[in-house]
This record gives sequence, structure tokens and C-alpha cells, in this order.
Amino acid sequence: MRTLSALLLATGICVAPYLALAADIAAEVRARLAESPVVRGTFEQRKTVVGFSKPLASSGDFLVWRGHGVLWQTRKPFDAQLVLTRDRLVARTADTSYQISAGTEPALRVTNQLLFAVLAGDVESLQQHFRVTGELDGKDAWRVALVPTDAGLARFLKRVEIDGDRYVRHVRIDETNGDSSAIRFEALSDAPPPTPEEVKRLAE
Amino acid sequence: MPSESRLLSSKALAVGWAVVVLVTVVHQVRFWSSAQLDPDVLALLPREGHNPAVEIATRTLSEAASRRGAVLVGAASWESAVAAADAVTAALREAPVDIDHGAAQTFEALVDFYRPWRDRLITSAQRERLESASAEELGRIALMQLYQPAGVRFGEWRGDPLGLWPAWWAARAAETRARPRDGRLWLAGNGLEWIVLPFESRAAGFSGTGATPISDAIAHAQAAASGVAPDAVVLAAGVPLFAEAAAARASLEMNVIGSGSLIAVIALSWLCFRSVRPILLVTVSLLVGCGVALSVTSMVFDRVHLLTLVFGASLVGVAEDYGIHYFAARQGRMPSERYTVLQSLLPGLVMALATSVVAYLALGLAPFPALRQMAVFSAVGLAAAFLTVVCWFPLFDRKPLPDTAFARNVAASLLHWPRWHAGRRGWLAVAGLGVLIILGLTRLDSRDELRQLQSAPPSLIEQQRQVSALLGLPSPAQFFLIEGRDDQELLQREEALTPRLDVLVGQGVLTGYRALSDWLPSLARQNENARLTAKAEAAALAIVARETGENPARIEPSAKPLEPSEWRAGPAAPAMRSQWLGRIGGDEYSVVMLMGVTRESLPSLQKAAEGLPGVQWVDRTADMSALMYRYRVLLGGLLVAGYVAVWAALAWRYGRVSWRALLPTALGSLLTLAFFGMVGVPFQLFTVLALLLLLGMGVDYGIFLIEHPGDGKAWLAVAVAGVSTVLAFGLLALSSTPALSNFGLTMLLGEVLIWLLTPWFRSPAAPRHGEEEPVLARLAD
Repeated sequence: MRTLSALLLATGICVAPYLALAADIAAEVRARLAESPVVRGTFEQRKTVVGFSKPLASSGDFLVWRGHGVLWQTRKPFDAQLVLTRDRLVARTADTSYQISAGTEPALRVTNQLLFAVLAGDVESLQQHFRVTGELDGKDAWRVALVPTDAGLARFLKRVEIDGDRYVRHVRIDETNGDSSAIRFEALSDAPPPTPEEVKRLAE
Repeated sequence: MPSESRLLSSKALAVGWAVVVLVTVVHQVRFWSSAQLDPDVLALLPREGHNPAVEIATRTLSEAASRRGAVLVGAASWESAVAAADAVTAALREAPVDIDHGAAQTFEALVDFYRPWRDRLITSAQRERLESASAEELGRIALMQLYQPAGVRFGEWRGDPLGLWPAWWAARAAETRARPRDGRLWLAGNGLEWIVLPFESRAAGFSGTGATPISDAIAHAQAAASGVAPDAVVLAAGVPLFAEAAAARASLEMNVIGSGSLIAVIALSWLCFRSVRPILLVTVSLLVGCGVALSVTSMVFDRVHLLTLVFGASLVGVAEDYGIHYFAARQGRMPSERYTVLQSLLPGLVMALATSVVAYLALGLAPFPALRQMAVFSAVGLAAAFLTVVCWFPLFDRKPLPDTAFARNVAASLLHWPRWHAGRRGWLAVAGLGVLIILGLTRLDSRDELRQLQSAPPSLIEQQRQVSALLGLPSPAQFFLIEGRDDQELLQREEALTPRLDVLVGQGVLTGYRALSDWLPSLARQNENARLTAKAEAAALAIVARETGENPARIEPSAKPLEPSEWRAGPAAPAMRSQWLGRIGGDEYSVVMLMGVTRESLPSLQKAAEGLPGVQWVDRTADMSALMYRYRVLLGGLLVAGYVAVWAALAWRYGRVSWRALLPTALGSLLTLAFFGMVGVPFQLFTVLALLLLLGMGVDYGIFLIEHPGDGKAWLAVAVAGVSTVLAFGLLALSSTPALSNFGLTMLLGEVLIWLLTPWFRSPAAPRHGEEEPVLARLAD
């Protein structure tokens, strides 16, 4: 009897906060994330792509500027830049740039917002299109898993997992086509503010 | 006393007419139990045209739209919009509409259908890029696609290494604004999240009961939506709503005009004759007239238009003439004299019938189906009312009908009516009228717009405008018509046009377009695209292999192009069915629909078709206006010719006094136009038609007064007939359909003026052949 009670109690202790947190996990995550307008850092990405025997590794640095967009600068294995704003997704390399998607298309705008929200850890806005489950870990850390509720998104996204503390530390994206990307962020900081060059890129 | 044989033959006539009326009654019962009344304004479009393909295109597009509509449910948040949309869906369950919930799912089916041919489906911008890009550039694009953390991708990277496919879909999706979201159709606009509920009407025809089940259900749905989401906005649009509103208005107007005129006829008959018999018989003649008219109209045309019934209701105020004339002449005579009375009236009545029927039939000269229906309806109705008087009245009218004080007073009033003299005052009055006419005519504006045939409640028009703007609906009246020997030539000709349209979209002249060749490119274009993508992807894959050290293989697309026959059986075809018209007279036709057309964009659009074989710019609005203008001028000429012909006929019969019959009608018509000029009522096709009818009916008064100078009985009939005619057209002037209102107003003013002017220009009282004596003697006792 006592063991059972203890077990129930123990389970209760473990489960109750989890349930409570699942409901407003988004608010908790926001509370734990640094409220800085700018996040910079480096990334290391390993992408498993159907048809390739080895994962494709890439690395570089990035800038998330809240309300403006994301600059995703790949340094290795080649130099390339993704410019992601609310309205468009543009890819650039040394001698070429092309628009991957334009804001005239609402579905793509949602996708852009989504990538932006994932990188910024903006779980609250992600709740619009995903079923969010998650848990808090210790004093600072958190972890969420996102499953699309929207059939349009489910067409290319299967599941997204994000964990972090003051910053987003890891993102794992499982695509419907079987590809998956694991991204690790490091050297994260709130400074310096965007350079004029970066401002120009995001405004173009 | 009528002879034995005449009595027999009149009995045979009465029985024969009874058979016709009986058949009509049976037909009417069946007609109203399955009424197929046509409320669609596009059914009014003339069938006549230079190009039958244009007519078929217009009809196909309007038929496709005739049963479809959409309800938009908007709220500030997606959750409220969903809740409100569910409430709306539940509230609409009782309404005669089917909501199409499958619309959000079709995208999946489309992607799967097109996948084998994705290499053959690229946008013109992509084509240019693939043609110009170097192998290195292509390689880098493929690498970026490969290393990109995640993106919009309908399948594996190997199936589309350059990421071409999503952009083609984005271009296709741009043709409509609504997008699938959580299994619903969603769009964002005006700061709200909207859920689109496309529906199809199940309403089976319009019976003229005035019920508006769809609008009522939508009003309930609005209340239900507000119940769950206070900020919810519900907008509804579509032809079924307009049709319903038009039917309700038409049935109201039909009842007001018909019963109003009938009450007037009954009241006037009571005043004049103080007997139930004339009232009953005149009413019967009107009912028979309208019934036969409707039956014949529905037999001649497939469907009776609602406007025909509204216009036809005014017939009540015209067809009563024959009955009233009969009783006015019959009043105060012995019952045994009734055949003689009819006999003596017959030539005049036949003459009056003939002129009115000819005038009404002139309405049908313009190639508008609704006008032709009105012409047939009115001509048949008049004839049937006339036959009822001739065949039945003497048979049932067997009792005495004494003169009444009212009839005597009206008859005697003719003697006191002012009369024009060729003196100083007379010429001054004429000069005054002339100045008035010239002043008014110089201010007269003309207008030729199809919109004059349309009437809709402003709230519906406003909702339609908002829904069109939110959904980005294509224009039903402006489009390009493409023609080709076979489907391949057709598609290639479209492909020659669409780059020009892309330029216009880039310039903001248009917001978009929808072309068959975007969903089904010509085989030549498909093969060219396949060759281009294969080359570019091979180059890109070689570079990816070099950079990654792996050897990824492209997933090979279908080796064969997408054939039109295959496409027709696929899920994309239904949405394009109204645009691919198929074979008309040996050639294939299609329509390129345009979004965001404004008045300013019309010249650039017209220019876009220049120099392209088989591409025709169609502007139905402009065509209709031009057609209405053409017929306004043509019928204007006919009106002048009509005056000349009537004058010739009058001069032949009445010699030098013929002007007395014609001048009142001419003056009345001119004064009506002058009045229109002064108050700003436009001069249009329907005004001319009314003037034609005025000529046919107005001259009658003059004829009667010349035929029977000083005869109070003729004056009584003219006065009573005139009042009820004026009332019927006056009620028509209140119609919410601008064209009918204009017609009614012209008739109302014209009739009143002619009615006042005719006795003013009557011959000096000197009686011809002592005809006045017996009349005055009868009036005296």
C-alpha cells in the first residue's frame, strides 16, 4: 500500500507539472528565453538526405533580428547566405542570388514565419500551426516538440524538436520526405547589433 | 335583334374560346406548380452577335457561376473564425445549399496528379533562368537546396534538385487567394482571418413566391456566428443570392403592379357602371388575357423571365380597354342591342388592337430575349383580352345597364374641356411649349449600360464587392477568347498571350489571370521544358557529386508528356471546365480569365491581343453598351419612320384634320423627353421603346375623338382607359429595375400629357352628320 501510494505520489509529482506545463509551455519558454532583439551565434548542421549515404555537414554563423528576419550564413562547405524575412526567402552565393519564395504566396509566408519562429524559439506563434508538447528541465532549460496540425504544413514537415535555455540550443527538423536536419547553435550572444551591411541585406 | 345564324355562330365562338381558355387554365396550373422563372440578368443578353463562340463563352461562364456562391466568415483570430465558421455551417444545414468542404483537400490530389510531369511544368521566369544560368550557378542552387535546413518541398531532393516545383505551384496557387489551412479554406485580408465556405445552391427554379431561403439562412448564420464569436463577420456572395433577391423583388413588383391596376380597373368600372357584371366580365377578360399571354410565352421561349412578368403585370392597365369600351357604349342601351353595339364597335376595337399589338411587337425588334418575351406576352395578352370581350361579353351581359351620373358627368366634361384656337393665345401657348421642349432636349443625357437591366439590394452588391476583392475573383465580362484548329494550336496560342499578360501583371494593370495552358501546357512547351530541366539538372547533379563526393541520381520523371486526354480525366480538369469551351463549329476554343480588371486597364488589355492570331479580346460590358446604343439609334429611326407612316395613314383617312390625332402624341413624347432632360433622367433604349408604344397607344385617343367628335361616350371610354393605363405604367415606374422604371416613367408622363393634349386639339364642336344629337339626347334624360 505504501509503495503504491509512494509510486502514485512520485508519478503525480512528475506528471502534474508536466501536464500543467504542456498547457502553457509556450509562455514558460518565452519567460526563460532572453528577451533580446538580437541573437547571434554559430551553427553546425548535419542533414540526412534521402539518396545520400553520409550526412551532409555544414557550418556557419547566423543572426536572428526579432521583427526583421534571419541571416543564415553558411561558411562550409561553401559560402552561401539565406536571407529570411517575413515576406521572402532569398538565397545568395558569391555570384548568384535567387528568390526561393515570395510573400505574395500566403502559404510560403507562413513557412517563412515558421522558420523564423523556430530559430527564434517563438513557441507562442508556432502554436498556431503545431500541436506543442514540452517540458521544463531544471531552472533554465526547456524542450518542446512540434507536430503540424495543418495539412499544408504536414505535406513537408513531420516534426520539429527544439531545446534551449536563455537561447535556442538545438533544433531537429524531420521532413515528410524522409530528410532530417540536426542543428546545434553555439557562441550565442545578444550583441553586437546588426551591422549596416546586415541591415541592408534584410531590408532588400 | 341578332339573326338566328349570328346567334349560333356567336355561341360557337364562345364555346371555342372557352376550350382555349380551359386549355390555358390546365397549362397555367402545371406552369405554376413547376415554375421555371428565370431571374438571371445574363439571360437577358442578346443572342445576336458576330461570333457565336463569344456567346457560348459568355453563356458557359455564366452557367458555371449560376449555382455557385461563397460565404466568408471572418474574425480577428483563427480560433474565433473556426468557431464562427462551424456555427455558420450548422445554421446553413437547413438552407437549400450544399457547402463544399472538399475544396481544402483538392490540393493534395492535384500535387499527386501532376508529380510525374513536374519537369515539364515550369514558370516562364524559371524557363528564362534555366536557359541563361551556367552549370556552376545551377550547381550552387542545387547545393543550397540540399543544405537548406528545411523548406517547402513536395518530395525528395532527388525528385527536384533545383527546387523548381514549389515555385510552379506558387504561381498556380496565386490564381486564387484562398489556401488550405487545418482542412479549411483560409485567407487573410482586411485585418481578419477568413474561412471560405464555397456553396452550391440546391434551389430548384424560382416560383415567384418571393421567398429568399438562402438569404434568410445566411442572416440566421450571421446571428449564430455572432453568438460564438462576437467579432465575427459573415459575407455572402454569388449569383444564387442575386437571383433570389431579384425573384423576390420581381414577385413583389408583379403583385403591386398587377393588383394595383386591377383595383383601379374595378374601382373605375364601379364608378362608371354601378353594376357587378361589368366588373366581373372586365376582370375575367384581364385574367384570361394574362393567363393566355403567360402560357403562350412559356411555350414560345424555354423559360419565362421574371422581368417579363413584372412588365406583363402592367398589361392589366392596358388590356382593360376593350371591356371598358364595350360597356361604355353598351351603357344605357337595351340588353337586346348588345350585339349591335359590339358590331358597331368592332372596327374601332380591331383597329386599336392592331396598332397596340404592332407597337408592342416593335419592342421585340431589339435582340434582347427579355424584350422579345415582353413583346410576345403583351401582344398575346391584348389579343386574348380582346377575344374574351368579343366572344363572351354579349353572351353573359344580358341584363339592363342604365347610365350612371358619374358616366354622364365624365361624358359631358368633354364639352367644357379647353380647346386650342389658332389665335394669339393659342400660338403663344404653342410657342411656350416649343421653348420648353428645346430647353429640355438640349439637356437630355443618353446612357447605354447593361446595368440598367439589373437591380439588386445595395447590401448584396456591397458584399459581392468585398467577397470579390477578398477572393480575387475573375471578371465574368472581360476575357480573352482563344481559338485554334486543335487543342495543341489552342494551347500554343494561349502561350503566346500569357507572357504579355505577365508583363501587365508586373505593371499592376492586372492582379492575375487564369489560363488553361498554365495547367496543361502544349506538348511542344512541355517537351521544351523537359529538355531544359533535364539538361540543367544533369549539370547541377554533376557539381553536387563533385562537392559531396557522392553520386545522387535524379528520380526520373515520366518520359511522356501530359496528354490532354489524360488531363481531362484528372483532378485539375473540373476547375477549368468552364474555361475550355471545346469544339465550336470545327475549332477548339478556350477563355483566359482575368483578375483585377479596372476601367483603366481595358485599353492595355485590348492591346495585348493585337497581332496574335486566334486571340480575341472580349469586353461584354462594352459590347452590350454598344449594342444598346446601336438599337437606341436604330429604333429611334424606326420611331421617326413610325410617325411618318401613322401620319400618312391618318391623312389618308382624315385629311386635313389628321394632325389633331398625331400632334398630341408627338408633343406629349417631346415634352416627356424635355422633362427627362430637365430632371436628369437618362435617355436610353427603353425610353425609345416606350416612345414607340406611346405612338401606338396615344394616337388611339385622337382617332376616337376624330371618329366621334363631341361623343361623350367615346370620351368616357378614353378617360377611364387612360386613367388605368397611366396607373399601371406609373406603378411600373416604381420598379427597382432601372430599365423598367425608365420605361414606366416615359409611359406615365407621355400618357398623361397625350391624354391632356388630345382634347385640347380636338376638332371644333360642329358635329359631323348630326351624330351628336342622339348622344346629347341620351345624356339629357
